[in-house]
Amino acid sequence: MQDFITHLKEKIIKTLDLEDITPDDFGEDDRLIGGELGLDSIDALELVMMIESDYSVKIDNKELGEKVFASVKSLARYIQEKNPELAN
Amino acid sequence: MTKIRVFVTGTGIISPIGRGFTETLNAIKQKKIGIRPLTLFPVPFDIPLPVGEILLTESYNTPRTHKLALIAAKEAVRNTEFPPDAIVLGTTTGGMDLSEKLIKEKNCNPDLYEYHSTGTVAEYIARELKCTGPVLTVSTACSSGTLAIKLAIELLRSGMAKTVLTGGADALCRLTYHGFNSLQLIDPDGAKPLDKDRKGMSIAEGAAMLLLTADAEPPDNAVAEILGAGLTCDAYHPASPHPEGLGASGAIKSALKDAGISNDDIDYVNLHGTGTNDNDSSEAKALNSVFTDKMPEVSSIKGACGHSLAAAGAIEAVISSFVIQEDIIPENVGLKNPDPELKLSPSLLKKSKINTVLSNSFGFGGNNASVVISEPEAHPGNAVFKKRKPLRVLCFTCITGAGNAEETYASLKSTGKCCGKVEIDHISKILPKNKLRRLKRLPKMVLSLAVNAQQNGNDVKPRSIYFGTGFGALSETYDFLDKLYESNEQFPSPTDFVGSVHNAPAGQASIWLGATGANITSTAGDYSFEQSLLCASLTSAEENDPMMVIGADEYHNVLTKILDRSSEPDSPSDGGGAFLLTHGEKSGLNIFVPFFEYAVDNKNIISSLMNRLGGVDRIKELFGAVFAGIPAYKRTAGKIQLSELRSEISYSIPYIEYRKFTGEFASASAVASVVAANCVNYGMVPSLSGNKEFDLNNKGILIIGFGDFITAIEIYK
Repeated sequence: MQDFITHLKEKIIKTLDLEDITPDDFGEDDRLIGGELGLDSIDALELVMMIESDYSVKIDNKELGEKVFASVKSLARYIQEKNPELAN
Repeated sequence: MTKIRVFVTGTGIISPIGRGFTETLNAIKQKKIGIRPLTLFPVPFDIPLPVGEILLTESYNTPRTHKLALIAAKEAVRNTEFPPDAIVLGTTTGGMDLSEKLIKEKNCNPDLYEYHSTGTVAEYIARELKCTGPVLTVSTACSSGTLAIKLAIELLRSGMAKTVLTGGADALCRLTYHGFNSLQLIDPDGAKPLDKDRKGMSIAEGAAMLLLTADAEPPDNAVAEILGAGLTCDAYHPASPHPEGLGASGAIKSALKDAGISNDDIDYVNLHGTGTNDNDSSEAKALNSVFTDKMPEVSSIKGACGHSLAAAGAIEAVISSFVIQEDIIPENVGLKNPDPELKLSPSLLKKSKINTVLSNSFGFGGNNASVVISEPEAHPGNAVFKKRKPLRVLCFTCITGAGNAEETYASLKSTGKCCGKVEIDHISKILPKNKLRRLKRLPKMVLSLAVNAQQNGNDVKPRSIYFGTGFGALSETYDFLDKLYESNEQFPSPTDFVGSVHNAPAGQASIWLGATGANITSTAGDYSFEQSLLCASLTSAEENDPMMVIGADEYHNVLTKILDRSSEPDSPSDGGGAFLLTHGEKSGLNIFVPFFEYAVDNKNIISSLMNRLGGVDRIKELFGAVFAGIPAYKRTAGKIQLSELRSEISYSIPYIEYRKFTGEFASASAVASVVAANCVNYGMVPSLSGNKEFDLNNKGILIIGFGDFITAIEIYK
């Protein structure tokens, strides 16, 4: 799980061009959207596309998105729950 | 004071519920829904999303937007003998439905992209209707149609035209279909505005036109009167409306003030009402804050017609004129369970005496427009003739191949040129890095210009922003389509979609500068900056607040060479210029656009230009040089026009072809204007593209654009 979280952080940094940010700069429980990273709803939708394309997991409405994107940990959990092959 | 009232003397409409007055009215009476699963192009979903698609049988050899626009235009002018004096259209898609197919096929033949740019729609209509006056195009996302009407009203009030054909047109295309879907703004069951279970809009296509006539009293063929309109900007977010509807309520109040009526006079509000959660909530809050005592009847027609983006405001203005003529309120089709949180009671279809209608349109970039339409005798308009006046220059700046303004002036002094394409990071280093993450070349240029101009102007805060761009954000547009096609039309970038909208850079500038007034993006090809200056002098007349006028275009390695026939792929150039302006006394530097007319089939245009400039004597007295802008692609026609002007002016005055020192790009005139302003300030023109350095003798510079349009910008002290 920890490896997947780190991997996911790297994917987020790459997808959103978060220059000067490293995986160590944000905690797994930190608020992902609307938090200190300065990410907003458009970034969340950009991540939706990446997650569907790379992990075949759909996050197709705002209510679900709000829950899933609460933190990197909640995102990792949701992806693994929907696509157990990614468990490790 | 001469009164100028604005009457609707002709309408044309084509939407997913019908064509023309009779069919559309019957569709409203039958509560017809024009939303069905998309068939226009294949999509990789099991069931295509529902859209408002129109069956077009016309064989005009143009993209769909142009076809739709022409159908509506022909209906609007069917009973008139003469062409309109001017045309003002709003569109966001232009020829995209065709271009995106060609881009998918990697077809780089520039001939096939002839109708790509948004400005080509109004130009096409101008040629078809033989209009040779001002032909203006605005592209402010979903507010474009209503914003165009505001500009048309101001053209009439300024005396620049007696009749204006105005409206909007947009066609369904992959860019908008997949773009809005990537933002999760499409309701898979079809739009149900104001419903508690609403899930989004239904994207649609269509066009509508209004023929507006200025007169002191209603002419016999007047079907309605446009009392006024208001424009604001949220200055809040690139794609989401202000959650409390602050920008929306501002536009409504501004429209009511412009109309000279109170909120009690509004009988019916035709809502923007897209069916997205955020729009309907924000608009409802705005209405509840304005109509505190008595809420008028309200309904959205987008559950029936869908949301046709730039056409929507025009379609709803035309339907509002039907509401007034027929005393019928359209039902809020699609609604089953009104959302109690909105505190609105959406109307059912009914007959009711309706004198005055408010119609709202809101778009990306926080762009808001509202218009008030009335029965001609209900509240006679009391607007008066407003002469356009020169604007006072507070400061100016530019970006060119040589770098920022100082680097540009230095390069011009040493080499006589500033063409090329500068490293964008060099220019945008004045902006905080963490705010630039999602921005590509054009918005970075625009923000750098805006921030730099404001700093030079001692932090004077502009209220309104006027932005001109020939081709808009090409990097975002290309990247969106590239990612879309690369992923088999499955995973486009929502960030690129939001950034691809023509008014996105001006929307970003509004957020940075806190500019909550009018925010107008003009897209008139090589004359976009000139149109922006014109729009500034038209719509800011009632405000004494400062304004920012910006012109900019980016060079994109793939798209520019196929879209801009004047571009030089072997030595690409881009850049832009910005002016911080205000109203007031004529001390210091002044800037003015006295002339902006369509030159195709316009035989007497050079003598009209001379008249408007005040004849040879005034030119001689006021100007020490002419900067001539001839786009390379229009070289032959432009050279003939220039020599005609030279023979009219007859005396010896230095002529400098500015594209030789700026390079070829659509907003070159913005850079030329900044260079001219700097020259006028110093009283000298350096050795530019072959000319020797010379003294202006305290005179100004006249900047003339040639080609498909003839335009004039005066800069003088």
